[in-house]
Amino acid sequence: MRLISKLVFVLSLITSCGVHAHAVVTHNSLALKPVPVNQASQVELSFNSKVELDLSEIHLVSAGDKMQVIEAVPGDKPGKVLLNLPALMPGEYAIKLKVFAADGHLSEDLLRFFVKQPQ
Amino acid sequence: MEGIADYLDSLIGGIDLTFYSIAIGGLLWGWLILKPWEDETRFNNALLEKTVALIQFGSKALIFTQLSKIGLKIWLMSVTLGKSPFPAFFHTVQFNAGIARAASAAVLFYYVKTALSKHLRSEQRWLTANAILLPLVVSAAWLVHGASRLEDRGLLMSITVIHQIAAAAWVGGIFQLLAIWRLKKRNLVGVELWPVVLKRFSVLGVGAVVVLLLTGTPLAWYYIRTFQGFIGAGYGNLLMVKIMMMGLALGFAWLNRQAVVEFFESRSLYTLTAKVPYYIEAETLVLLTILFTAASLASQPPSMDIPSLTATWQEVLGMFEPRLPRYTSPSHEALLAGEPGRVAIVGQVPSEAATAWSDYNHNISGIFLTTMSFFAMLSYSARFHRWARFWPVGFMLLGVFLFFRSDAETWPLGPIGFWDSTFNNGEVLQHRIATFLVFGLGWMEIKARIAKEPGMLPFVFPLLAAFGGMMLLAHSHVGFEPKTAFLIQVGHTLMGVFSLILACGRWLELKLDAPGKNIAGFISVFALFQIGIVLMFYREPLY
Repeated sequence: MRLISKLVFVLSLITSCGVHAHAVVTHNSLALKPVPVNQASQVELSFNSKVELDLSEIHLVSAGDKMQVIEAVPGDKPGKVLLNLPALMPGEYAIKLKVFAADGHLSEDLLRFFVKQPQ
Repeated sequence: MEGIADYLDSLIGGIDLTFYSIAIGGLLWGWLILKPWEDETRFNNALLEKTVALIQFGSKALIFTQLSKIGLKIWLMSVTLGKSPFPAFFHTVQFNAGIARAASAAVLFYYVKTALSKHLRSEQRWLTANAILLPLVVSAAWLVHGASRLEDRGLLMSITVIHQIAAAAWVGGIFQLLAIWRLKKRNLVGVELWPVVLKRFSVLGVGAVVVLLLTGTPLAWYYIRTFQGFIGAGYGNLLMVKIMMMGLALGFAWLNRQAVVEFFESRSLYTLTAKVPYYIEAETLVLLTILFTAASLASQPPSMDIPSLTATWQEVLGMFEPRLPRYTSPSHEALLAGEPGRVAIVGQVPSEAATAWSDYNHNISGIFLTTMSFFAMLSYSARFHRWARFWPVGFMLLGVFLFFRSDAETWPLGPIGFWDSTFNNGEVLQHRIATFLVFGLGWMEIKARIAKEPGMLPFVFPLLAAFGGMMLLAHSHVGFEPKTAFLIQVGHTLMGVFSLILACGRWLELKLDAPGKNIAGFISVFALFQIGIVLMFYREPLY
């Protein structure tokens, strides 16, 4: 049994149990309020859990996967976060989130969006 | 090092639950099952010392696991965010509740070591030790999934903690039974104790199952809500797997209970001593897998939070639809050419070559396994046994195949170095371990089958298969496409369940007498065949 116990121990060290995200964005303002062209704006996010903003990192991703850190501030309710976006040219963008949820999961999420000239 | 930190952080949840169960379940075992203060002649000191030693081990291991969890979290944040997480981390619930939990476990360990172990038959000491559980349980409540919820937090935390205690009573009791069986084999306790503890435990076991169902059902309802959420999202899928494994564990529990009932009617010890201990060992494999799956479940976003990202039942069934396996692979150049577009965040272009490459890998692996299961079936016939018993060589060949094909962007076929890819990408690390396990599985099983006195070597195969199953249940193609990731996950989790059945079947084949061993052996090989079939028809979604 000693061989088995040692094996169990070693194997328990090399098995994994998933690394999916827990904190996910349940609502965002991007669909209802498109990001304006060449004008600083604010995006509102609602998470499914409490998040620790001091331990989170949020990037704006533009063409060529260029990353730019954007400022995030707490909203008026727990789980709500406001992002301050700089003035953006028309094109495809994404908001890349690395968020520390209050239950201890460091979660990643991605929101893709377009900035379009008004028709 | 981000890959390793991420990987270790995710696996420690299952280890933590295991030690939590050993400590808490052991205390409940002593308090509710043994009650050593009632009859001083029934349980000897060897048994009580072993019981308390297990509790002591569980609480000590829990201290280290909890502190390691905090350390890993700090490491993960440092490497992921590229900055120090201090002082912000000191103010998080994770840190404060984690430290409180480690401290509670330390108090429990100290009390068990200095007070309970010296007065094994004192009801007061057992009661106090169980009372010390309270702060441990309360601090643990702040570390569960429900603690971060925005609504019904207190209710969810309470239900989850009761669910955990019921699971701990079951798992901890099983560890205690295994310890008593070992004592019996060394003649440190009498054989007459075995039916007594089994009978008493069956009552506690039934109670634990009832509580698990009473608490698990509302939690599942709260976090899932819809049929689509149950069928088409990672959370629902892992819960389904948990239910399937729970059914398996209950099957073993039912066999044990039947054996106890039969004993008290016939007074024959045969089933209780020649079958039940091995059913319990197999049940332990299943329960440990459930704990690791539970930890994995806690890191999934609840289905109710991602209704727009869940798959339909037609899409899920489509993943298992029989098709002609892909037997041609795109070239390595075509694969690499499509990779920048596939992994791009902005301007992403799905790569048909990557999907075809993955399909080929899975389908060919399926052909390997179904062929091996065919030879495994033949090996049971005396006519073919001589050469068909070498069927595990297939695992070694499969290991070589996977080494070259699993991660084409890395060494030896791709430009990313071996160590760089292994330590910086959790998925590549899992693939490397799986490859190593598969190769090792074949090598050890061949050695076990040709050796005249293999000793414990034949048991390595079912253990590796069980842990391979755990890895499959945890296999994660993390990305930013939850629906795609889920559709990939759904096949892997089903294979994980079959791997566990394969492991339990083989374990029992090695342990039981005929005809039980033949039935178990057939079930084991059939599970291998099923894994092969799932892989042969696997089709990765285009992304």
